[in-house]
Amino acid sequence: MITPQTLQDATARAHDAMAVLEQELNQADAVLGDGDTGGMLARVIGGMAALDLSQEDDLGAAFAALARAALANTGSSLGTLMATALTSMAKATKGTPSAEWSDLSPMLADARDAMLKRGGASLGDKTVLDGLDAVATALNGVETPAAAGAQARAAADQALATFRDLPCKVGRARMFADKSIGIDDPGMLAFAKLVAALAA
Amino acid sequence: MKKLINRPGDYVDQALDGLVAAHPAMIRTGTAGRVIARAEGARKGKVGVVSGGGFGHLPLFCGYVGQGLLDACSVGNVFEGPNVQSCIDAIKAADGGAGVLKLFGNYGGDRMNFEMASEMLDFEGIETTTVLGTDDIASAAPEEAQKRRGVAGILYAYKIAGAIAERGAALAEVTEVTARANARVRTIGVALAPCQVPGAERPTFTLPEGEIELGMGIHGEPGIWRTQMMPADQLADEMLNRLLADLPADAGGKVSVLVNSLGATPVEELFILYRRVRERLDQEGLQIVQPMIGPYVTSMEMAGASISLFHLDEQLEDLLRDPADCPFWSVRR
Repeated sequence: MITPQTLQDATARAHDAMAVLEQELNQADAVLGDGDTGGMLARVIGGMAALDLSQEDDLGAAFAALARAALANTGSSLGTLMATALTSMAKATKGTPSAEWSDLSPMLADARDAMLKRGGASLGDKTVLDGLDAVATALNGVETPAAAGAQARAAADQALATFRDLPCKVGRARMFADKSIGIDDPGMLAFAKLVAALAA
Repeated sequence: MKKLINRPGDYVDQALDGLVAAHPAMIRTGTAGRVIARAEGARKGKVGVVSGGGFGHLPLFCGYVGQGLLDACSVGNVFEGPNVQSCIDAIKAADGGAGVLKLFGNYGGDRMNFEMASEMLDFEGIETTTVLGTDDIASAAPEEAQKRRGVAGILYAYKIAGAIAERGAALAEVTEVTARANARVRTIGVALAPCQVPGAERPTFTLPEGEIELGMGIHGEPGIWRTQMMPADQLADEMLNRLLADLPADAGGKVSVLVNSLGATPVEELFILYRRVRERLDQEGLQIVQPMIGPYVTSMEMAGASISLFHLDEQLEDLLRDPADCPFWSVRR
C-alpha cells in the first residue's frame, strides 16, 4: 500500500540521491539550456524532504503538502510541472489513508494529462512527459512495490534511450533540433535518475 | 569563478535587500519577500502593470518598478521563473481596482505560474490580462513569432504599458497597445563569454578563445551561429542585417534603439557598437528616437551585447516620450 509514510521515505531517498545528481543534471541542462535543472531540483526536493508527513493520515493531504512545497520553492517549468502532477495525485487520493500499488498507473496517467494541459507540450516532444507516460503505461496491472520499482525503472530508462536520438520539439531546445539529437533531455534524465533512486 | 557573495542560497534575497535599501521608492513585499513594489502603493483607478521573471538579469525585471513603468514585479531564483505565490502577491500589490496587465517574457515556468496565479485571483475579482515578451528573433522563425522568447526588448513594452496606464487608459486598451508595442520590437544578442549560476560548479556554456555566439539567449542558451571574433563594426552589421531582415509589417521611418550590455561588456564598447548602428540606420533612412546605451538587461557576468530595434508609430513614439522614473531609467518630457 502507498501511505503518507511511503511518500516520506521516497522524498528522503530522492533527497539523498540529489547530493550526487545535482551537478550532473546542471551539466546536462547546460548543453542546450541554462544549467540550473540540478540546483532547482535539489532545492525543490529538499523542501519536500523537510516536511514531516509521519502524523498525516490522509494520503491526498500528504500529496498536497508535497505539491505546496514544490510551488514554494520554484517557479521553473519542470518544478511547476512536478507540483501539477502532485496536485493531480492529491485530488485522486483525497480523503483516503492509502492507495493500492495498482492505483499508481492510473494516477500517473492523470498526472501526465494535467501536466500536458498546464505546460502546453505534447507527447513525443522529448520532455519529462514522455518518461512519465512510459512509466504510467508500464505500471498497468502492477501490484507490488518491488514490481513497480523494477517496471518503472526499466520503462524510464527505455524512454530515455528511445528519445535520445530524436530531436527536441518544444522550448528553446527545439531551435537546435539537430544539436538535441544524441543528447538526453535534462527533465527526462532527471526523472529516470530519480525513478532509479526510488526503485533501488 | 570569483563572485562577491556570502552563500549561493542567499544570492537573490541579499541582492534584493540591497536594492531596496539603496532605493526607498521600492519595497520588498509578498509572502516570501519575492515581490518588489512601489513604496507609494497601487494608485486607485489606475490599471496595474506587473511583471516577473527569474533573477540574474538586473536591472531587469524588478529594477524597472517605478513611475510610468511597472507597479510590481515577482522575483524567482536565478534563471527560474517566480513561484505562484509571488505572482499572486505581485498582482495584488499592483491592483488599484482597474485590473492588472501581466507583462513578462515568454518562458514556460513564468507562463505557468502567472496563469495559476490569475486562476486563483479570478475568485477574488481581480481582472488580469497577459502580454508576453517575444522579441528574441533568434529563438524562433518569423512564421512562429509567438514562440519567441522575451529578452532585452521587453523594456520597451514596459515603457509603453506604464505610460498608457499612467494616462488612465482602461485595461483592454493598455493590453492592446502593449501587445502592439511588443510585436514591433526585435532583439538579437551576441555572447563573448559565459556566466555562472551561483552554486553551480561550471559556467553555463563554454566558448573557445576567439569565438563568439550570435543569437544566444539571456540565460546562456546556445545561439544559432557560432563564429570567429570580428571587429565591432562588422558584428554590428551582422546583427543589424538580421534585425532589418525581420521587420514588422507596417514599420515606419522611426525606431528607438537599445544597445545593451549582457553584464561584463563595458559601456565604451557599447558606444563603439552604437556608432556603427547609427551610421547604418542613417543609411537605411531610419530616424532614431531616444536611443538607450547601457547595461539594462544582463545575465550576471556574461560578456556580450544585444541590439534591439523598436519600430515606432505615432502613438508609440508619444508614449515612449512620456515621463518615467525608476532607479535604472528615467525619461523627462
